[in-house]
Amino acid sequence: MTNSVIGVTAFLITCIGLRAILPFPEIDGGVSQKFRFFSAHKDEFDTLFIGSSRVYFQISPEIFDRVTRENGLPTRSFNFGIGGMYLPETAYLLEQILNLKPRNLRWVFIEYDEMQTKWSPENQTSRRALYWADWKRVSLLLRKLTDAGTDPLWRPAPAKLRDIVLRQNDEKNTRSLLTFYATQFEKKYTNVARAADVLNYFVGRDTNDRRASYLGAASDGYVTRPNRMSPDKAAAYERGLAAAMAQAGTRALSPYAVEGYRQCAEEVRNIGARPIFLITPSTTQINAATESTGLPGIVMAFNNPRAYPNLYRSSVRRDEQHLTKSGSEEFTRIVAANFVDLARAGQIK
Amino acid sequence: MSFVEFRFLWFFLVVFIVYWTMRNNTARKVWLLLCSYSFYAAWNWKFTFLVLGSTTADYIVGLMLGRCESPAWRRFWIATSVCVNLGVLVFFKYFNFFVSSASEFLAWLGLPTSTSTLNLILPVGISFYTFHSMSYTIDVYRGRQRPVSNFVDLSLFVSFFPPLVAGPIVRAVYFLPQLVSVRKFSNVDVRGAVMLFLAGFIKKACIADGVAPTVDRYFAHPADFTPTSAWIGVLFYAIQIYCDFSGYTDMAIAAARLLGYQLPNNFQFPYFARNVSDFWRRWHISLSSWLRDYLYIPLGGNRGSRGFAYRNVMITMLLGGLWHGAAWTFVIWGALHGFALLIHREWIRLTDGFKWAIRAMRWLAWPITIYAVCVAWVFFRAHDLGSAGTILKQFVLFRGGGNEHFHRWLLLLVAALALIHWLNSRRWFAESWRQWPAPAFAAAYGCTFAVVLLFVPPHYTPFIYFQF
Repeated sequence: MTNSVIGVTAFLITCIGLRAILPFPEIDGGVSQKFRFFSAHKDEFDTLFIGSSRVYFQISPEIFDRVTRENGLPTRSFNFGIGGMYLPETAYLLEQILNLKPRNLRWVFIEYDEMQTKWSPENQTSRRALYWADWKRVSLLLRKLTDAGTDPLWRPAPAKLRDIVLRQNDEKNTRSLLTFYATQFEKKYTNVARAADVLNYFVGRDTNDRRASYLGAASDGYVTRPNRMSPDKAAAYERGLAAAMAQAGTRALSPYAVEGYRQCAEEVRNIGARPIFLITPSTTQINAATESTGLPGIVMAFNNPRAYPNLYRSSVRRDEQHLTKSGSEEFTRIVAANFVDLARAGQIK
Repeated sequence: MSFVEFRFLWFFLVVFIVYWTMRNNTARKVWLLLCSYSFYAAWNWKFTFLVLGSTTADYIVGLMLGRCESPAWRRFWIATSVCVNLGVLVFFKYFNFFVSSASEFLAWLGLPTSTSTLNLILPVGISFYTFHSMSYTIDVYRGRQRPVSNFVDLSLFVSFFPPLVAGPIVRAVYFLPQLVSVRKFSNVDVRGAVMLFLAGFIKKACIADGVAPTVDRYFAHPADFTPTSAWIGVLFYAIQIYCDFSGYTDMAIAAARLLGYQLPNNFQFPYFARNVSDFWRRWHISLSSWLRDYLYIPLGGNRGSRGFAYRNVMITMLLGGLWHGAAWTFVIWGALHGFALLIHREWIRLTDGFKWAIRAMRWLAWPITIYAVCVAWVFFRAHDLGSAGTILKQFVLFRGGGNEHFHRWLLLLVAALALIHWLNSRRWFAESWRQWPAPAFAAAYGCTFAVVLLFVPPHYTPFIYFQF
């Protein structure tokens, strides 16, 4: 018994020790490249955009800074958008960024969307699905999957638990997801697969070209995606847009997403910055609630096609989710103008 | 649930603690039986009934064989057992293969065909537990094993979770006597078992899963790669399948040992074999000895003419190939090994008394054997016969292929792993750790496991032999 305790203790101490000395993990999709760049230039930026590809390919810091400068509120912004990044990964990465203690950071734009619990099978096997799986994030996911509420005391809904155990109704895959996230948590804390980070450091896989492909031409994290939709795709998009606009009512965030964003906002405020939640123009976000969201911060919403028709024209869209280069530039200008207005109104000072 | 998953660790911890807390042997066996069925149910609970059905049939056959004196009735009961077990195996594993092969053959003859295959799920480990179960009834029939009256004992023998899904194939005469007496924890070689588990874990999780992406990439599109990359792909596969399967076996043996039970050894450095016959004495020993004792010898073995014996070798190896999977690639793999065994036998016969041949083979035996084994692995792994042909062209003739290539330093990795394996076979990593004080061993073990996890890929790759 004593020897078992010694063995387990040695295991845990080694895991903790290794965690302390290992560098930030090498994660595909630009996560590592952007993180390293931001670490090296953290005090140069006062505005940060974080979110999915809808931020990555649609917010040009160069244009944003130009508009704010022209309006007497100069900023220096960085785009930390990552393709396919949603809550809770966003929250983890934001925490890591804020842990760098960027001294001049004043505004953090966080993309607003529902918390994702499902990962496609091919993405489940990547290190991208692992690096963020700390307890704060995993516990939120487990709570959402079991409908356990956000109170300190977990109270899973009995009906939900029954469905999960019996794999019935909408819970056919929930058991696998619970196992998956619990395993990711264990892997995260036992440093599974982290040798690759050390190997990458020596092999030097991160070339200048590769870095530039993620950081963009201006090294501000923005990469353009110029292609437009084909006529067939555009027609399908128009139909989808009309259907989305015809839907009545709004879709509120789950309490788990609100809790995740609340944690983000708290961390942002702790370093003296202001959180701003951003709803990007996409057909899947049209019915997202913009009022009484429960979010602790300003919500900048661009999900109303009637209010922002120029952002929903098929000629400026790559697909349902994304804008073309010109559409992205237009979107950035609108975001910047809104930001300046809010600042002048004293709402985000 | 796989041995390299975290959830297995928690599962085994519960099994282990509860098992050794119990004093009564029957209670322990019932507990292990419940755990074994839960282990299998974690994959698909519906197929636990298949295991139960197979066990029940063989339990009844065993009892009937014990009661019957008449040879005709005894033959009837053993035939029943063989038919039930092989029937289940053939239905789940080979039904679609036979139907589609017959359809293709008829189409090749130009005859009209109308076939339909069933959407069958292959129950994990069916080939293994079927062979476990059959060894019982055959040994009872032969009088080598007394019929078991305790259903729990037989059920536990068939479904004991460590070897349940990927072997080693355990025989009734080996395992059932172990269930009679109460296991004592003081007799368990905990240190040896946990070290064996660690060795198996490293083989599977670090090495086999580490090389798997390269292997998958090559075998998915072999025509895109250069001949050098073909060598890397095939050698990596040889490493992967050995480390994957022997890693599983090591962990299975270790898990059983921690519960006080012994399982047979399944590997004995097969890649250092100096001929194919030697290879089969070192690779998947439990299967090769099972096929020898329950198929090759009943077919007539070495008795009779040389041609008769060679026929028996070919039948055994072809069925051995088919046992691995329902595809022609596996049949060819078995046939290649069969031919290699015949060639070796002929070589021995023809060079008997020629000293030069013996001297030459001292140097050539190993490279020829390992090369032949690798050529056969091509069929084992290739998606179809067309891909196998492409790979062989690259691997044997150094021709064909595209421009895509792997780094050549991967060949150094092959050399490094081979060196470690060779040193291990020479007992360089001998059991000096047995002399360490217990607390030092425990601390070193914990630290080592934590370091090993760094080298485990982020995703789990199923054991190759699960599909068999």
